[in-house]
Amino acid sequence: MDIPIAEILSNLHVGLAGLGSAIGVGLIGSKAAEATGRNPGAAGAVRNVAIIFAALAEGIIFFAIYLAK
Amino acid sequence: MPAAFQRRPSSAIRAARLLALITAFLAFLAPSALCEHGPAPVVTEKTAGHDAHAAHGKGLPNDAPVLFHIGPLPVNNSMIITWIVAIGIIVFAQRATRRIRSSREAANEVPSGAQNFWEFLVESLYNFLGEILGPKLVKKTFWFFATIFIFILFTNWFGLLPGVGTIGWSVPEDPGSPHIFNHVTRPLFRGGNADLNMTAAMALTFFGWWTWWAIRENSHGKKGIGGFFAGIVGVLKHLFAPKGKESGFMKYFLILVFAAVGLIEVVSILFRPVSLSFRLYGNVFAGENILESMMQLVPWLGWLIPVPFYFLELLVGLVQALVFTLLTSVFTLLICEHEEEHQEGVAAHH
Repeated sequence: MDIPIAEILSNLHVGLAGLGSAIGVGLIGSKAAEATGRNPGAAGAVRNVAIIFAALAEGIIFFAIYLAK
Repeated sequence: MPAAFQRRPSSAIRAARLLALITAFLAFLAPSALCEHGPAPVVTEKTAGHDAHAAHGKGLPNDAPVLFHIGPLPVNNSMIITWIVAIGIIVFAQRATRRIRSSREAANEVPSGAQNFWEFLVESLYNFLGEILGPKLVKKTFWFFATIFIFILFTNWFGLLPGVGTIGWSVPEDPGSPHIFNHVTRPLFRGGNADLNMTAAMALTFFGWWTWWAIRENSHGKKGIGGFFAGIVGVLKHLFAPKGKESGFMKYFLILVFAAVGLIEVVSILFRPVSLSFRLYGNVFAGENILESMMQLVPWLGWLIPVPFYFLELLVGLVQALVFTLLTSVFTLLICEHEEEHQEGVAAHH
C-alpha cells in the first residue's frame, strides 16, 4: 500500500505487453492463413514458421509478467 | 524406421533405465508413508472450492508445494507427475518395441497395436524434424527432440486428468468453519510443467547439448582434443567472423559490424533458456489457473463452463510441446549449419 503507483504501473506494463503480443500473434496468424491460401502446397513450411514466430511474439508477455513489480 | 533405432540398448542405457524405475518406485512409496504422519488426505471436488478461493482471492500458487523430502532433496507434487509420466512412457515404449528387439524377422513384420502407434509417432517425428534439420543433423539429434516432444506432450495432457490438483492435503485455516477442508492447499498432483524448475531443467539440458552439438558440428570433422578446440574456434567464427567477400575499407567496416552483431547474438542466445522455460511454464500454469477460475465463475455452472477451455488446453499442450521442439531444433540448426551446405540445402528444396 506504500506505493500504489508502482502497482498500477506494473499492471499497465503487463497489459501493454499482452496487447503487443496479441497483436503480433494475430498478424502472424492472418499472414499464415493468407500464405497458405495463396500456396496450399507450402502449408507445412508456413505452419512451422508461423508457430515459431508466434511463440517468439508470445514470449514477450512472459518476460513482462516475470519482470513486473 | 532407420536402422539406428533397431539396435539393442547398451548395458549403460539399461542400467540408467533400471535406476529411473527404482527412483520412481521410491516416489510411489513415499507419499503413502507420509499419510500416516501428516494430516489426513482429503478428497474434494474442484467445484466445491469456490467459496474458499473467493475468500482468498488467489488461484494456483506460483511454486509447486513441497510434499516431502528424500534426504536433502525436496520433492514437490509436480515431480511426482513427472515421474509417473516418465515411467508410463518408458514402460509403454519397452512394451511397444519388444517384438522389434526380439528378433530380426519380427522387425520386418507389419506392426499392429502399441508397436504400430509407437512407430507412427517416432517415424512422423523423424520425418518432421528431418525436414527442419536436414538428413545429417537429424540423425545425431533426433533422440533429444523426440524425447522432449513426447515427454512434454504427455506431461501436459496428464495434467488435465481429473484428480490432478483436487486430491491432496488441506490445512484447516479456520477450525470453526464447516468448510475447513474445501481448499486443497497441498495437492498430491500438479501439472508437471507448472513448475518452473522442470521447464528450466529441460531448457538448460538443451543448452548444454546445444553447446556440445555446436562445437562438434563446427569442428569440420576433426577428432579428439584438436577437434574440440577447432570446434570452439569454429563456433566463435560462426558468431563473430564476417561473412561474404569484401575488400578494402568495406572489409574492415564489416568486421566491426559482424562483431557487434555477434555480441547481440550472444545476448539472444543467453536469453533462450530463460524464454524457453518461461514460455512452457507460463502456458501450462496459466492454463491450470484458467480452468480453476472458469470452474468458479458461475458456481452452479462449474461443470459446463470449463469444457471449451479443456479443449483449448488440449490444444495448448500439443502446441507448446511442438513449440519447444521446433524452437530447440531451429536453434540447433542455426548454429550447426554451414554457409555452403545451407546453399546446397536451399537448392535441393526448390
